[in-house]
Amino acid sequence: MKDSRFRNRLKRDRHLYLMLLPVIAFYLLFKYAPMAGEIIAFKDYRLGDGIFGSKWVGFKHFQSLFGSIDFWRVLRNTLVLNVYSLVFGFPVPIILALLLNEVRKEWYKKTVQNLLYLPHFISWVVLGGIFIAILSPSTGVVNAVLEHVFGIEPIYFMASSTWWPVAYTLSGIWREAGWGTILYLAAMASIDPQLYEAAKIDGANKLRQIWHITLPGIRSTVAILLVLRMGHMMDVGLEQTLILQNQSVLDVADVISTYVYRVGLQNMNYSYTTALGLFQSAVGLILVIGVNRLTRLFGERGLW
Amino acid sequence: MITYKKSRSVWSRVGTAANYTLLGFLSLLALYPFWYVIVSSFSSSRAITAGEVSLWPIEFNAEAYLRLFDDGQLFVAMWNTIVVTVVGTLLNMALTTLAAYPLSRKRLMGRNLLLMFIIFTMLFISGVIPNFILVKSLGLMDSYWSLWLPALISTYNMFVMKTFMEGLPEEIEESAAIDGAGDWRILVQIILPLCKPIMAALSLFYAVGWWNSYFNVLLYITESTRQTLTLKLYQMILQVNQSLLNNVGSEGVEQVMLTPEGIKAAAIVIAVTPILVVYPFLQKHFVKGVLIGSVKG
Repeated sequence: MKDSRFRNRLKRDRHLYLMLLPVIAFYLLFKYAPMAGEIIAFKDYRLGDGIFGSKWVGFKHFQSLFGSIDFWRVLRNTLVLNVYSLVFGFPVPIILALLLNEVRKEWYKKTVQNLLYLPHFISWVVLGGIFIAILSPSTGVVNAVLEHVFGIEPIYFMASSTWWPVAYTLSGIWREAGWGTILYLAAMASIDPQLYEAAKIDGANKLRQIWHITLPGIRSTVAILLVLRMGHMMDVGLEQTLILQNQSVLDVADVISTYVYRVGLQNMNYSYTTALGLFQSAVGLILVIGVNRLTRLFGERGLW
Repeated sequence: MITYKKSRSVWSRVGTAANYTLLGFLSLLALYPFWYVIVSSFSSSRAITAGEVSLWPIEFNAEAYLRLFDDGQLFVAMWNTIVVTVVGTLLNMALTTLAAYPLSRKRLMGRNLLLMFIIFTMLFISGVIPNFILVKSLGLMDSYWSLWLPALISTYNMFVMKTFMEGLPEEIEESAAIDGAGDWRILVQIILPLCKPIMAALSLFYAVGWWNSYFNVLLYITESTRQTLTLKLYQMILQVNQSLLNNVGSEGVEQVMLTPEGIKAAAIVIAVTPILVVYPFLQKHFVKGVLIGSVKG
């Protein structure tokens, strides 16, 4: 009885399942198979031997990983660059959105928005190339201004361990800050205008209106985006870092993903760097699950 | 009382003016780097090397562009980028739709199981190396399938489309089903026409992603004639970046070796122009896409 109902539903929706076939094949082959491939972190993988032919070595790679200076260096850089982007990058879209929200001339607001969104659509290769050109000590405009206007000696922004993280953080803000305003602006647009009317009657000026109405109105958006951002503390934009970094700043610019690329793929240390990648994925998984718990705690809908 | 009100309105006017000015300045700041490369690309290499270029082309010339046109490599690369982008986006949209439509039907048996199967891949992200080994052992190296296949569906985009489809009124579909239309016909003739705004937004997201990406090309496409625009630029910039190193030690020697700044600037301008041209027209679709996506997600 139950079995036939099951079969009926299966038959009725057979076309839907047919649609899903290539989808399931995709997820199995290109998402789950690489997950299974992570077992080479516990083997000595060589291209010739294949995944199954390679020798098991247990936790050897993890032991040498946690014992190496490189590991702690790339882990520290990954976290430090993330903290910079979070501390300096996270508030910028909020401030921009507050400024934009006060603009009453629609055409002006639209124009500013369009210009601020633009860098988000440009490849990191292009943005990185432009950044390096602008900051170049010999030909860049920033150093030219510093030298001619302020009489400062040229600064090797991209080759100095002090300045590189600053340039990195600024380039991230340049690309994403404008785009990041969209959700805040949407949240601000949904605030009841009567609240502002009432505040005006009570004699509250613009700043007080922002403080008492606008900011509380976007509080949940801020909270959820902040929490989501925390879930990504282990990833650093690979394409961004790879284009901006160079040999002389690797002590501050080398992050997990670029290290995996250089040592793993270029020097073919597959198993060793897979162990590092697996560590990153595992911590990432824990962070995302933790973050999801946290959003539910805030009374927001979780991610799943 | 009256004077208080008046002073407040003066202050609020000053505040508004300051706000408008600040935003204007910030948008120019966001735009200036693009302006700088455009200006550099039309300046003489002498002026660039001397650091004289800032607001306008110095010793205006288009030599950098002529040299790139002569070389022709960049146009092969641009054609490759177009192929990768167009085919990639079409494949993305087909597969994303095939996933989103069935999963948006609440009556589908096993729906939750399938959703969990998919969501898990967003939580645990496998590393670069296992993916590389997979693509290599499938024999996809140097074929564009190495780019397309592993990225057929962006799970996030798929969920955006699924959410959108769930929001469509069910009655339309039910009446079509009563008229005897099958799932494929309902999808193509009823659902998809209603999905135009989200299809537009997602195609744009996918297309921009293809146009801009370079890391996967760096990994999988080694043959020089098949490389894309972004990868060519990456190699040019890497050269400059490496010479920056030597620059720290000895000044001047490297200038001969590297891709001249002007050529690099011209290549960047060529790469970025298509996006700058279409961007103003498509911008509103992007914003719509983000807002639909944020409903849940």
